[in-house]
Amino acid sequence: MIEVASLAAHAGAFRLHDVSFTLPRGAWGIVLGSAGAGKTTLLETIAGVRRAAAGRVSLRGADVTHVAPEARGVGIVYQQAFLFPHLSVERNVRYGAADPAHALDIARRLGAGHLLARGVRDLSGGERQMVALARALAPRPDILLLDEPFAAVDPRGRTRLRRELRALQRELSLTVLHVTHDFGEAGTLGDLAILLDGGRLVQAAAPAALFHRPASAAAAEFLGAENVYAGTATPLEPGSDDEAGTMLFRAGSLALVGLGESAAVSHAVIRGEDVTLARERRGLSSARNVLDGVVVEVVTHGALARVTLDVGEVPLVATVTAGSVSELGLLPGSRAVATIKATAVHLC
Amino acid sequence: MRGRGAHRAAATAVVVGSLILLTLLALPIVALLLRGGAAGLAQLGADRELRGALALTAQTATLATLITVALGTPLAWLLARERMPGGAVVGALLDLPLLIPHPVAGMALLLAFGRASPAGAALAQVGLAIVGSRTGIVLAMLFVAAPLYVSAAREAIARVDERYESVARTLGDSPTRAAWRVTRPLAGRGLLAAAVVMWARAVSEFGAIVILTYNPKVASVLSYDRFTGEGLDAALPVAAVLVILAVVPLLVLRSLRGTAALGEPAR
Repeated sequence: MIEVASLAAHAGAFRLHDVSFTLPRGAWGIVLGSAGAGKTTLLETIAGVRRAAAGRVSLRGADVTHVAPEARGVGIVYQQAFLFPHLSVERNVRYGAADPAHALDIARRLGAGHLLARGVRDLSGGERQMVALARALAPRPDILLLDEPFAAVDPRGRTRLRRELRALQRELSLTVLHVTHDFGEAGTLGDLAILLDGGRLVQAAAPAALFHRPASAAAAEFLGAENVYAGTATPLEPGSDDEAGTMLFRAGSLALVGLGESAAVSHAVIRGEDVTLARERRGLSSARNVLDGVVVEVVTHGALARVTLDVGEVPLVATVTAGSVSELGLLPGSRAVATIKATAVHLC
Repeated sequence: MRGRGAHRAAATAVVVGSLILLTLLALPIVALLLRGGAAGLAQLGADRELRGALALTAQTATLATLITVALGTPLAWLLARERMPGGAVVGALLDLPLLIPHPVAGMALLLAFGRASPAGAALAQVGLAIVGSRTGIVLAMLFVAAPLYVSAAREAIARVDERYESVARTLGDSPTRAAWRVTRPLAGRGLLAAAVVMWARAVSEFGAIVILTYNPKVASVLSYDRFTGEGLDAALPVAAVLVILAVVPLLVLRSLRGTAALGEPAR
């Protein structure tokens, strides 16, 4: 378990402020944030190679804030791997291992067995990461900190490495905290997603909740929400239990029914994949938002298409399959009807 | 056309200026070697005093360098990793011996470690005389040349990304063990180059040594002694041998600089 409470740390002029979250034992935590958000500083402070300026780091329930990194039982893998260039792959892998046989076994599990006799200078990006992962796991840590470890790996190698690491994580009950820019990784690997911005914690939640219920408009935009509107919201039918949390949001001519948890709502967030398109209005529907619009743009990326509608002088982006675009005959200038469930309109 | 003419004039000025500077630097060395080089090498066989002075110079410079490497490398690491309180002040203090005239450095050493000083008296009590001894030569060499080692070693260590040490720490190393197992080999060439620079500087030292220890004579003091006692012709062979010997560290340095730094992460 990793527990961070009101953690602050300095890295040159950069400041990490007041970060708190708990990652249960055996869970996979994903750290998201733009460059300079404090992701690496957070990892290094948990590893103990950077001193905490304030707050507390607890591992396995014990306060380790002032414990040296070598006594924390934590492995770290950086994006650049930082393999020791004066040592062979085998000596890198065995560097911190009390049991060399286990170290070599881990290397073989991760697909680095054939590299053991080689030097590290001529390894590819993927090979370097395999070796760095094996080196970090060789001393049998139960906590693994990963700083964008797959960024330099080709897509095929990334999938294989991710799969092996996931299997090892389950087998060894590893608690993993993983910095990534890849939202796909966050969705497929993560039990907890931690979003940092400017050295502060924006939100820590299950990945699905983070993506569909971002804490702020900035968080929503960072997480790739296609539709973020600034406006005001009023409770819908106040006093009615059925409509608890349901609000009417207005942004210019756009009116949406959505779900919000605070009276101080200032934005509505809709992910493109939550917007359904049709050529005309159908009969009764449970969806609370049905908007008429005109197609402005259709951009196809492989099997998916991003369709932008003008709904009352406000753009609305829908992510649909390229097949649907073709079937519905969605072309710029054509009319379309967008349907959005109130539960897909997140007010924050 | 006018632009091309101006460019050509500027290029010519750069070439001429460089040639003037190179001539100013090379001419005295060439003149010295032409006048005294062959005689100096021939004299090496017969002149016991010259051989003795050269051996003494090499021994004392080596000892001063070894002491500095042992004491200065941890200091350079602390300064490079910015883990020393008041590191900026320490850095400035280290630069000071490089900036003061070397005879002044000799006087300062005399005041601090001469027989009349408390430190000098205490050392004399345990049989370690500074003035007029080999110890004095080592001390003078160390005083003027150690800052060069610490400064260059600090740069060499700073070039090794600190995250190598971070990884080693998470793999079980203490700070000292990580520095020894990872940073030292990665900064090894830079540290060796720093030691060579220091050794060469120690060998060429005259001003501080001559005040602290005229006898036994190191090579630089011997060349001065012969110049003042017997004239230029007598001093030239000794001086020429010193110049020829200076080529050795120069070649070592060139070979060290020609190799890639280990501590930089490979792409």
